[in-house]
Amino acid sequence: MKDVIICRCEEVSLTDLEDAAKKYNCSARELKLRTRAGMGFCGGRTCRPAVDKVLTSITGEDPTNNIPLKVAPPVRPLSLSDLGGVNHD
Amino acid sequence: MKMHDVVIIGAGPAGLSAAIQCRTYDLSVVVIDEFPKAGGRLLGQLHEEPNGEWWNGIKESNLLIEEAENLKTDIRLGVSVHHVERLENHYVVHTNTEHVAAKTVLIATGAAESAAPIPGWTLPGVMSIGAAQVMTNVHRVSVGEKGIVVGVNVLSAAIARELQLAGVDLHSMALPATNVVSEDQSNPRAVMERLVRIAHLAPSKFIQFGSKFATFEFVRNIALNFYPKDGIKMWDMPIHLRKAIKEINGTDRVESVTMVDVTPDGDIIRNTERTIEVDFVCIAGGLYPLGELAAVVGCPFEYNEALGGHVPIHNEAMETPIDGVYVAGNITGIESAKVAREQGKVAGLSIVKALTDNAEVAEKVDAAITNVQQTRDEATIQFHPEINEGRATISASFEQLIK
Repeated sequence: MKDVIICRCEEVSLTDLEDAAKKYNCSARELKLRTRAGMGFCGGRTCRPAVDKVLTSITGEDPTNNIPLKVAPPVRPLSLSDLGGVNHD
Repeated sequence: MKMHDVVIIGAGPAGLSAAIQCRTYDLSVVVIDEFPKAGGRLLGQLHEEPNGEWWNGIKESNLLIEEAENLKTDIRLGVSVHHVERLENHYVVHTNTEHVAAKTVLIATGAAESAAPIPGWTLPGVMSIGAAQVMTNVHRVSVGEKGIVVGVNVLSAAIARELQLAGVDLHSMALPATNVVSEDQSNPRAVMERLVRIAHLAPSKFIQFGSKFATFEFVRNIALNFYPKDGIKMWDMPIHLRKAIKEINGTDRVESVTMVDVTPDGDIIRNTERTIEVDFVCIAGGLYPLGELAAVVGCPFEYNEALGGHVPIHNEAMETPIDGVYVAGNITGIESAKVAREQGKVAGLSIVKALTDNAEVAEKVDAAITNVQQTRDEATIQFHPEINEGRATISASFEQLIK
Protein backbone atom coordinates (compact mmCIF):
# COMPACT_ATOMS: atom_id res chain seq x y z
CA MET A 1 0.00 0.00 0.00
CA LYS A 2 1.30 3.40 -0.95
CA ASP A 3 1.90 5.61 2.03
CA VAL A 4 -1.05 7.87 2.57
CA ILE A 5 -0.45 11.61 2.79
CA ILE A 6 -2.12 13.19 5.82
CA CYS A 7 -1.12 16.85 5.42
CA ARG A 8 -1.14 17.66 1.72
CA CYS A 9 0.26 21.19 1.89
CA GLU A 10 3.44 20.04 3.61
CA GLU A 11 3.30 16.51 2.13
CA VAL A 12 3.56 14.75 5.47
CA SER A 13 2.68 11.07 5.31
CA LEU A 14 1.30 8.77 7.97
CA THR A 15 4.67 7.01 8.05
CA ASP A 16 6.47 10.33 8.62
CA LEU A 17 4.24 10.98 11.62
CA GLU A 18 4.54 7.47 13.00
CA ASP A 19 8.32 7.44 12.59
CA ALA A 20 8.73 10.83 14.27
CA ALA A 21 6.43 9.81 17.11
CA LYS A 22 8.43 6.64 17.68
CA LYS A 23 11.81 8.34 17.42
CA TYR A 24 11.09 11.28 19.73
CA ASN A 25 8.33 9.81 21.90
CA CYS A 26 6.68 13.23 21.87
CA SER A 27 3.39 15.08 22.42
CA ALA A 28 0.95 15.87 19.63
CA ARG A 29 2.10 19.48 19.60
CA GLU A 30 5.76 18.57 19.35
CA LEU A 31 4.99 16.09 16.60
CA LYS A 32 3.27 18.84 14.64
CA LEU A 33 6.26 21.13 15.00
CA ARG A 34 8.73 18.40 14.05
CA THR A 35 6.87 17.26 10.94
CA ARG A 36 5.07 20.53 10.00
CA ALA A 37 1.81 18.54 9.66
CA GLY A 38 -1.05 21.05 9.62
CA MET A 39 1.29 24.04 9.27
CA GLY A 40 1.04 24.59 5.52
CA PHE A 41 -0.67 26.98 3.17
CA CYS A 42 -4.23 26.09 4.21
CA GLY A 43 -3.44 26.70 7.86
CA GLY A 44 -4.65 23.21 8.65
CA ARG A 45 -8.18 23.85 7.46
CA THR A 46 -8.12 20.77 5.23
CA CYS A 47 -6.26 18.32 7.41
CA ARG A 48 -6.79 19.56 10.98
CA PRO A 49 -9.28 16.84 12.03
CA ALA A 50 -7.20 14.15 10.31
CA VAL A 51 -3.94 15.38 11.84
CA ASP A 52 -5.62 15.56 15.27
CA LYS A 53 -6.77 11.96 14.97
CA VAL A 54 -3.40 10.68 13.85
CA LEU A 55 -1.53 12.59 16.54
CA THR A 56 -3.83 11.50 19.35
CA SER A 57 -3.85 7.90 18.16
CA ILE A 58 -0.06 7.81 17.90
CA THR A 59 0.66 9.64 21.16
CA GLY A 60 -2.30 8.16 23.04
CA GLU A 61 -3.41 11.61 24.22
CA ASP A 62 -7.13 12.09 24.76
CA PRO A 63 -8.94 14.75 22.76
CA THR A 64 -9.23 17.64 25.20
CA ASN A 65 -11.48 20.67 25.24
CA ASN A 66 -8.66 22.83 23.96
CA ILE A 67 -8.21 22.91 20.22
CA PRO A 68 -5.36 20.41 19.89
CA LEU A 69 -3.28 22.38 17.42
CA LYS A 70 -3.17 26.05 18.29
CA VAL A 71 -4.77 28.48 15.85
CA ALA A 72 -2.81 31.64 15.09
CA PRO A 73 -3.53 34.55 12.77
CA PRO A 74 -3.47 34.98 9.85
CA VAL A 75 -5.99 32.16 9.39
CA ARG A 76 -6.04 32.69 5.62
CA PRO A 77 -3.12 32.91 3.23
CA LEU A 78 -2.44 36.52 2.32
CA SER A 79 0.27 38.58 0.68
CA LEU A 80 2.87 40.41 2.73
CA SER A 81 1.70 43.77 1.38
CA ASP A 82 -1.82 43.03 2.59
CA LEU A 83 -0.48 41.91 5.94
CA GLY A 84 1.76 44.96 6.17
CA GLY A 85 -1.24 47.19 5.68
CA VAL A 86 -0.04 48.96 2.53
CA ASN A 87 -3.65 49.16 1.40
CA HIS A 88 -5.14 49.85 4.82
CA ASP A 89 -6.18 53.16 6.26
CA MET B 1 -11.50 54.17 11.04
CA LYS B 2 -15.29 54.24 11.32
CA MET B 3 -16.68 52.44 14.35
CA HIS B 4 -19.51 50.09 13.40
CA ASP B 5 -21.97 48.47 15.76
CA VAL B 6 -21.27 44.97 14.47
CA VAL B 7 -19.16 43.09 11.98
CA ILE B 8 -20.75 39.83 10.89
CA ILE B 9 -18.29 37.30 9.51
CA GLY B 10 -20.08 34.91 7.15
CA ALA B 11 -22.99 35.69 4.82
CA GLY B 12 -24.70 32.33 5.14
CA PRO B 13 -28.15 31.75 6.61
CA ALA B 14 -26.97 32.62 10.13
CA GLY B 15 -25.01 35.76 9.21
CA LEU B 16 -27.68 37.14 6.87
CA SER B 17 -30.57 36.63 9.24
CA ALA B 18 -28.56 38.25 12.05
CA ALA B 19 -27.81 41.20 9.76
CA ILE B 20 -31.52 41.58 8.99
CA GLN B 21 -32.33 41.84 12.70
CA CYS B 22 -29.55 44.33 13.36
CA ARG B 23 -30.52 46.50 10.39
CA THR B 24 -34.18 46.39 11.41
CA TYR B 25 -33.08 48.22 14.56
CA ASP B 26 -30.85 50.50 12.50
CA LEU B 27 -27.50 49.30 13.81
CA SER B 28 -24.52 49.95 11.57
CA VAL B 29 -23.60 46.56 10.17
CA VAL B 30 -20.85 45.20 7.93
CA VAL B 31 -21.25 41.64 6.64
CA ILE B 32 -18.09 40.02 5.25
CA ASP B 33 -17.82 36.76 3.30
CA GLU B 34 -14.92 35.32 1.35
CA PHE B 35 -17.12 33.74 -1.31
CA PRO B 36 -18.14 35.99 -4.25
CA LYS B 37 -21.82 35.27 -3.62
CA ALA B 38 -23.83 35.64 -0.42
CA GLY B 39 -25.76 32.64 0.90
CA GLY B 40 -23.02 30.41 2.25
CA ARG B 41 -23.53 26.68 1.98
CA LEU B 42 -27.23 27.32 1.51
CA LEU B 43 -26.39 28.02 -2.14
CA GLY B 44 -25.60 24.38 -2.83
CA GLN B 45 -28.64 22.82 -1.21
CA LEU B 46 -31.41 21.14 -3.15
CA HIS B 47 -33.46 18.29 -1.77
CA GLU B 48 -36.97 16.93 -1.52
CA GLU B 49 -38.50 16.99 1.93
CA PRO B 50 -40.62 14.08 3.15
CA ASN B 51 -43.79 16.15 2.58
CA GLY B 52 -42.89 16.35 -1.12
CA GLU B 53 -41.80 19.97 -1.08
CA TRP B 54 -38.42 20.92 -2.49
CA TRP B 55 -35.88 22.82 -0.44
CA ASN B 56 -34.09 25.07 -2.90
CA GLY B 57 -31.12 26.74 -1.20
CA ILE B 58 -30.64 29.34 -3.93
CA LYS B 59 -34.22 30.55 -3.52
CA GLU B 60 -33.91 30.57 0.25
CA SER B 61 -30.69 32.57 0.16
CA ASN B 62 -32.17 35.02 -2.35
CA LEU B 63 -35.00 35.73 0.09
CA LEU B 64 -32.49 36.56 2.81
CA ILE B 65 -30.27 38.61 0.51
CA GLU B 66 -33.23 40.60 -0.78
CA GLU B 67 -34.43 41.37 2.73
CA ALA B 68 -30.94 42.41 3.82
CA GLU B 69 -30.53 44.61 0.75
CA ASN B 70 -33.89 46.28 1.31
CA LEU B 71 -32.57 47.25 4.72
CA LYS B 72 -29.45 48.70 3.03
CA THR B 73 -27.07 46.21 4.61
CA ASP B 74 -23.39 46.66 3.76
CA ILE B 75 -22.38 43.21 2.45
CA ARG B 76 -18.76 42.85 1.31
CA LEU B 77 -18.10 39.72 -0.73
CA GLY B 78 -14.88 38.09 -1.87
CA VAL B 79 -13.18 39.44 1.26
CA SER B 80 -11.30 37.09 3.61
CA VAL B 81 -11.02 37.73 7.33
CA HIS B 82 -7.69 36.52 8.65
CA HIS B 83 -7.68 37.91 12.17
CA VAL B 84 -10.02 39.35 14.79
CA GLU B 85 -8.18 41.61 17.20
CA ARG B 86 -9.60 42.42 20.60
CA LEU B 87 -8.83 45.91 21.84
CA GLU B 88 -9.91 47.55 25.08
CA ASN B 89 -13.50 48.29 24.15
CA HIS B 90 -13.88 47.28 20.54
CA TYR B 91 -12.73 44.82 17.91
CA VAL B 92 -10.73 45.22 14.72
CA VAL B 93 -11.50 42.70 12.00
CA HIS B 94 -8.51 42.25 9.68
CA THR B 95 -9.29 41.33 6.09
CA ASN B 96 -7.19 41.05 2.96
CA THR B 97 -8.51 44.42 1.79
CA GLU B 98 -9.12 46.52 4.90
CA HIS B 99 -9.51 46.70 8.65
CA VAL B 100 -13.04 47.10 10.00
CA ALA B 101 -13.67 48.29 13.55
CA ALA B 102 -16.81 47.42 15.52
CA LYS B 103 -18.20 47.30 19.03
CA THR B 104 -19.30 43.69 18.55
CA VAL B 105 -18.45 40.77 16.29
CA LEU B 106 -20.65 37.90 15.17
CA ILE B 107 -18.68 34.89 13.97
CA ALA B 108 -20.91 32.85 11.65
CA THR B 109 -18.25 31.01 9.69
CA GLY B 110 -20.12 27.72 9.40
CA ALA B 111 -18.38 24.41 8.99
CA ALA B 112 -15.56 22.85 7.01
CA GLU B 113 -15.26 19.34 5.67
CA SER B 114 -13.04 16.80 7.37
CA ALA B 115 -10.66 15.12 4.99
CA ALA B 116 -10.73 11.33 5.05
CA PRO B 117 -7.30 10.50 3.67
CA ILE B 118 -6.97 7.27 1.71
CA PRO B 119 -4.04 6.38 -0.53
CA GLY B 120 -4.23 8.44 -3.71
CA TRP B 121 -6.50 11.15 -2.27
CA THR B 122 -4.19 13.94 -3.42
CA LEU B 123 -4.59 13.08 -7.13
CA PRO B 124 -6.33 15.66 -9.32
CA GLY B 125 -9.93 14.55 -9.74
CA VAL B 126 -10.36 13.75 -6.05
CA MET B 127 -12.50 16.30 -4.26
CA SER B 128 -14.56 16.60 -1.13
CA ILE B 129 -18.26 15.94 -1.58
CA GLY B 130 -18.95 19.57 -0.70
CA ALA B 131 -16.67 20.76 -3.49
CA ALA B 132 -18.62 18.59 -5.92
CA GLN B 133 -21.81 20.19 -4.62
CA VAL B 134 -20.51 23.72 -5.13
CA MET B 135 -19.21 22.92 -8.63
CA THR B 136 -22.52 21.36 -9.62
CA ASN B 137 -25.12 23.59 -7.99
CA VAL B 138 -23.34 26.94 -7.69
CA HIS B 139 -20.88 27.08 -10.59
CA ARG B 140 -22.85 24.65 -12.78
CA VAL B 141 -19.73 22.85 -13.89
CA SER B 142 -19.75 19.09 -14.45
CA VAL B 143 -17.41 17.35 -12.03
CA GLY B 144 -16.59 14.51 -14.44
CA GLU B 145 -17.91 11.68 -16.57
CA LYS B 146 -18.21 8.96 -13.99
CA GLY B 147 -17.42 9.02 -10.31
CA ILE B 148 -17.75 7.29 -7.00
CA VAL B 149 -18.55 8.60 -3.52
CA VAL B 150 -16.29 7.43 -0.69
CA GLY B 151 -17.96 7.83 2.68
CA VAL B 152 -21.60 7.11 3.46
CA ASN B 153 -23.29 9.65 5.70
CA VAL B 154 -26.16 12.13 5.83
CA LEU B 155 -24.30 14.77 3.88
CA SER B 156 -22.91 12.50 1.17
CA ALA B 157 -26.26 10.81 0.57
CA ALA B 158 -27.97 14.18 0.14
CA ILE B 159 -25.28 15.54 -2.16
CA ALA B 160 -25.01 12.33 -4.19
CA ARG B 161 -28.70 12.77 -4.91
CA GLU B 162 -28.09 16.36 -6.03
CA LEU B 163 -25.30 15.25 -8.37
CA GLN B 164 -27.62 12.61 -9.77
CA LEU B 165 -30.36 15.22 -10.36
CA ALA B 166 -27.80 17.27 -12.27
CA GLY B 167 -27.10 14.30 -14.54
CA VAL B 168 -23.75 13.31 -13.07
CA ASP B 169 -23.05 9.57 -13.39
CA LEU B 170 -22.16 7.95 -10.06
CA HIS B 171 -21.04 4.33 -9.87
CA SER B 172 -22.01 3.94 -6.20
CA MET B 173 -21.35 5.06 -2.66
CA ALA B 174 -18.96 2.97 -0.59
CA LEU B 175 -17.01 3.22 2.65
CA PRO B 176 -13.38 4.30 2.95
CA ALA B 177 -11.14 1.33 3.79
CA THR B 178 -10.21 1.34 7.43
CA ASN B 179 -7.19 3.34 8.59
CA VAL B 180 -6.22 5.40 11.61
CA VAL B 181 -8.04 8.49 10.34
CA SER B 182 -11.20 7.04 8.82
CA GLU B 183 -12.13 5.07 11.98
CA ASP B 184 -15.89 5.00 12.33
CA GLN B 185 -16.44 6.16 8.74
CA SER B 186 -15.10 2.72 7.75
CA ASN B 187 -17.06 0.70 10.26
CA PRO B 188 -20.22 -0.70 8.64
CA ARG B 189 -21.96 -0.97 12.02
CA ALA B 190 -21.36 2.66 12.90
CA VAL B 191 -22.35 3.82 9.43
CA MET B 192 -25.50 1.70 9.50
CA GLU B 193 -26.55 3.22 12.81
CA ARG B 194 -26.23 6.70 11.39
CA LEU B 195 -27.96 5.80 8.13
CA VAL B 196 -31.06 4.67 9.96
CA ARG B 197 -31.64 8.32 10.72
CA ILE B 198 -31.96 9.38 7.10
CA ALA B 199 -33.81 6.30 5.94
CA HIS B 200 -37.16 8.09 5.98
CA LEU B 201 -35.87 10.34 3.21
CA ALA B 202 -35.26 7.40 0.88
CA PRO B 203 -37.88 6.40 -1.63
CA SER B 204 -36.53 2.85 -1.48
CA LYS B 205 -39.02 0.51 0.15
CA PHE B 206 -36.19 -1.68 1.34
CA ILE B 207 -34.60 1.11 3.33
CA GLN B 208 -37.90 2.42 4.65
CA PHE B 209 -38.81 -1.08 5.71
CA GLY B 210 -35.40 -1.53 7.24
CA SER B 211 -35.54 1.69 9.17
CA LYS B 212 -38.60 0.62 11.13
CA PHE B 213 -36.75 -2.37 12.50
CA ALA B 214 -33.16 -1.33 12.32
CA THR B 215 -33.48 0.54 15.58
CA PHE B 216 -32.86 -2.87 17.15
CA GLU B 217 -29.23 -3.86 17.22
CA PHE B 218 -29.83 -7.50 16.23
CA VAL B 219 -31.71 -6.37 13.14
CA ARG B 220 -28.80 -4.18 12.13
CA ASN B 221 -26.44 -7.13 12.60
CA ILE B 222 -28.58 -9.35 10.40
CA ALA B 223 -28.87 -6.62 7.82
CA LEU B 224 -25.11 -6.21 7.69
CA ASN B 225 -24.41 -9.93 7.57
CA PHE B 226 -26.80 -10.42 4.70
CA TYR B 227 -26.16 -7.08 3.04
CA PRO B 228 -27.00 -7.43 -0.67
CA LYS B 229 -23.97 -7.95 -2.93
CA ASP B 230 -25.13 -5.21 -5.25
CA GLY B 231 -25.72 -2.80 -2.39
CA ILE B 232 -29.01 -1.24 -1.38
CA LYS B 233 -30.28 1.13 -4.00
CA MET B 234 -31.27 4.62 -3.05
CA TRP B 235 -32.59 6.56 -6.05
CA ASP B 236 -31.19 3.72 -8.24
CA MET B 237 -27.69 4.27 -6.95
CA PRO B 238 -26.09 1.40 -5.02
CA ILE B 239 -25.00 2.16 -1.47
CA HIS B 240 -22.40 -0.32 -0.31
CA LEU B 241 -21.78 -0.92 3.37
CA ARG B 242 -19.81 -4.12 2.83
CA LYS B 243 -17.49 -2.71 0.20
CA ALA B 244 -14.75 -0.18 0.76
CA ILE B 245 -12.39 1.87 -1.35
CA LYS B 246 -8.84 0.93 -0.49
CA GLU B 247 -6.97 3.10 -2.91
CA ILE B 248 -7.41 5.73 -5.61
CA ASN B 249 -5.26 5.02 -8.66
CA GLY B 250 -3.84 7.12 -11.49
CA THR B 251 -0.60 8.71 -12.63
CA ASP B 252 -1.46 12.36 -13.29
CA ARG B 253 -5.11 12.19 -12.38
CA VAL B 254 -7.78 9.80 -11.15
CA GLU B 255 -8.14 6.78 -13.42
CA SER B 256 -9.73 4.19 -11.14
CA VAL B 257 -10.36 3.07 -7.59
CA THR B 258 -9.62 -0.26 -5.94
CA MET B 259 -12.68 -1.67 -4.21
CA VAL B 260 -12.56 -4.48 -1.64
CA ASP B 261 -15.16 -6.43 0.33
CA VAL B 262 -15.21 -5.85 4.08
CA THR B 263 -16.62 -7.73 7.08
CA PRO B 264 -19.45 -6.22 9.18
CA ASP B 265 -16.66 -4.78 11.35
CA GLY B 266 -14.90 -3.16 8.42
CA ASP B 267 -11.98 -5.58 8.10
CA ILE B 268 -10.82 -6.07 4.53
CA ILE B 269 -11.55 -9.53 3.09
CA ARG B 270 -8.49 -10.78 1.25
CA ASN B 271 -8.38 -11.34 -2.50
CA THR B 272 -11.49 -9.30 -3.18
CA GLU B 273 -9.74 -6.39 -4.91
CA ARG B 274 -11.25 -5.13 -8.12
CA THR B 275 -10.70 -2.04 -10.16
CA ILE B 276 -13.47 0.38 -11.04
CA GLU B 277 -12.77 2.96 -13.69
CA VAL B 278 -13.79 6.48 -12.68
CA ASP B 279 -12.54 9.94 -13.53
CA PHE B 280 -13.51 11.61 -10.28
CA VAL B 281 -13.85 10.64 -6.64
CA CYS B 282 -15.84 12.48 -3.97
CA ILE B 283 -14.59 11.95 -0.44
CA ALA B 284 -17.13 12.53 2.31
CA GLY B 285 -15.52 12.79 5.73
CA GLY B 286 -18.29 14.80 7.38
CA LEU B 287 -18.38 18.36 8.67
CA TYR B 288 -16.72 20.07 11.61
CA PRO B 289 -17.44 23.55 13.05
CA LEU B 290 -15.03 26.11 11.62
CA GLY B 291 -13.92 27.93 14.75
CA GLU B 292 -10.56 29.41 13.74
CA LEU B 293 -11.57 33.04 14.26
CA ALA B 294 -13.30 32.32 17.56
CA ALA B 295 -10.07 30.66 18.69
CA VAL B 296 -7.97 33.60 17.53
CA VAL B 297 -10.09 36.11 19.46
CA GLY B 298 -9.74 34.00 22.60
CA CYS B 299 -13.03 32.12 22.97
CA PRO B 300 -12.77 29.04 25.16
CA PHE B 301 -13.69 25.81 23.35
CA GLU B 302 -15.25 22.50 24.27
CA TYR B 303 -14.96 19.17 22.54
CA ASN B 304 -18.56 18.12 21.95
CA GLU B 305 -19.10 15.09 19.76
CA ALA B 306 -22.81 15.67 19.22
CA LEU B 307 -22.07 19.14 17.87
CA GLY B 308 -19.41 17.86 15.47
CA GLY B 309 -16.12 18.56 17.25
CA HIS B 310 -14.55 21.56 18.98
CA VAL B 311 -17.06 24.38 19.36
CA PRO B 312 -16.68 27.80 21.00
CA ILE B 313 -18.53 27.85 24.33
CA HIS B 314 -21.74 29.87 24.05
CA ASN B 315 -25.22 30.13 25.53
CA GLU B 316 -28.66 29.93 23.92
CA ALA B 317 -28.60 33.69 23.32
CA MET B 318 -25.52 33.06 21.10
CA GLU B 319 -23.22 34.98 23.44
CA THR B 320 -19.71 33.72 24.10
CA PRO B 321 -17.92 34.32 27.42
CA ILE B 322 -16.02 37.10 25.64
CA ASP B 323 -17.93 40.33 25.93
CA GLY B 324 -19.07 41.51 22.49
CA VAL B 325 -18.29 38.27 20.63
CA TYR B 326 -21.26 36.26 19.37
CA VAL B 327 -21.52 33.03 17.37
CA ALA B 328 -24.32 31.51 15.26
CA GLY B 329 -24.85 28.76 12.72
CA ASN B 330 -22.71 25.70 12.18
CA ILE B 331 -19.75 27.09 14.10
CA THR B 332 -21.89 26.28 17.16
CA GLY B 333 -22.62 22.72 16.02
CA ILE B 334 -23.48 20.87 12.81
CA GLU B 335 -27.17 21.28 12.06
CA SER B 336 -29.45 22.18 9.17
CA ALA B 337 -29.53 25.56 7.44
CA LYS B 338 -32.96 26.20 8.93
CA VAL B 339 -31.57 25.96 12.45
CA ALA B 340 -28.64 28.20 11.45
CA ARG B 341 -31.07 30.81 10.15
CA GLU B 342 -33.01 30.86 13.42
CA GLN B 343 -29.78 31.02 15.44
CA GLY B 344 -28.72 34.00 13.37
CA LYS B 345 -31.93 35.73 14.31
CA VAL B 346 -31.21 35.10 17.99
CA ALA B 347 -27.66 36.41 17.65
CA GLY B 348 -28.83 39.54 15.81
CA LEU B 349 -31.43 40.30 18.47
CA SER B 350 -28.94 39.64 21.27
CA ILE B 351 -26.61 42.20 19.72
CA VAL B 352 -29.46 44.71 19.41
CA LYS B 353 -30.32 44.05 23.05
CA ALA B 354 -26.73 44.68 24.12
CA LEU B 355 -26.30 47.89 22.14
CA THR B 356 -29.67 49.59 22.55
CA ASP B 357 -32.01 50.05 25.47
CA ASN B 358 -35.06 48.87 23.61
CA ALA B 359 -37.22 47.03 26.15
CA GLU B 360 -39.17 44.94 23.64
CA VAL B 361 -36.02 43.26 22.32
CA ALA B 362 -35.42 41.08 25.38
CA GLU B 363 -38.74 39.36 24.79
CA LYS B 364 -37.92 38.91 21.14
CA VAL B 365 -34.66 37.19 22.01
CA ASP B 366 -36.54 34.69 24.16
CA ALA B 367 -39.08 34.06 21.42
CA ALA B 368 -36.31 33.56 18.87
CA ILE B 369 -34.58 31.05 21.18
CA THR B 370 -37.84 29.09 21.35
CA ASN B 371 -37.97 29.13 17.55
CA VAL B 372 -34.50 27.61 17.31
CA GLN B 373 -35.58 24.65 19.41
CA GLN B 374 -38.82 24.26 17.49
CA THR B 375 -36.95 24.28 14.18
CA ARG B 376 -34.51 21.71 15.54
CA ASP B 377 -37.36 19.44 16.64
CA GLU B 378 -38.97 19.66 13.21
CA ALA B 379 -35.76 19.06 11.24
CA THR B 380 -35.96 16.24 8.73
CA ILE B 381 -32.23 15.57 8.81
CA GLN B 382 -30.57 15.29 12.18
CA PHE B 383 -26.80 15.20 11.83
CA HIS B 384 -26.36 13.75 15.30
CA PRO B 385 -29.03 11.92 17.36
CA GLU B 386 -27.85 13.48 20.62
CA ILE B 387 -27.99 17.04 19.38
CA ASN B 388 -30.22 18.18 22.28
CA GLU B 389 -27.85 16.69 24.87
CA GLY B 390 -24.91 18.33 23.08
CA ARG B 391 -26.66 21.70 23.15
CA ALA B 392 -27.47 21.31 26.86
CA THR B 393 -23.85 20.47 27.69
CA ILE B 394 -22.45 23.52 25.94
CA SER B 395 -24.99 25.85 27.60
CA ALA B 396 -24.07 24.37 30.98
CA SER B 397 -20.38 24.98 30.25
CA PHE B 398 -21.16 28.61 29.50
CA GLU B 399 -23.00 29.06 32.81
CA GLN B 400 -20.16 27.36 34.67
CA LEU B 401 -17.61 29.60 33.03
CA ILE B 402 -19.21 32.98 33.68
CA LYS B 403 -19.99 32.24 37.32
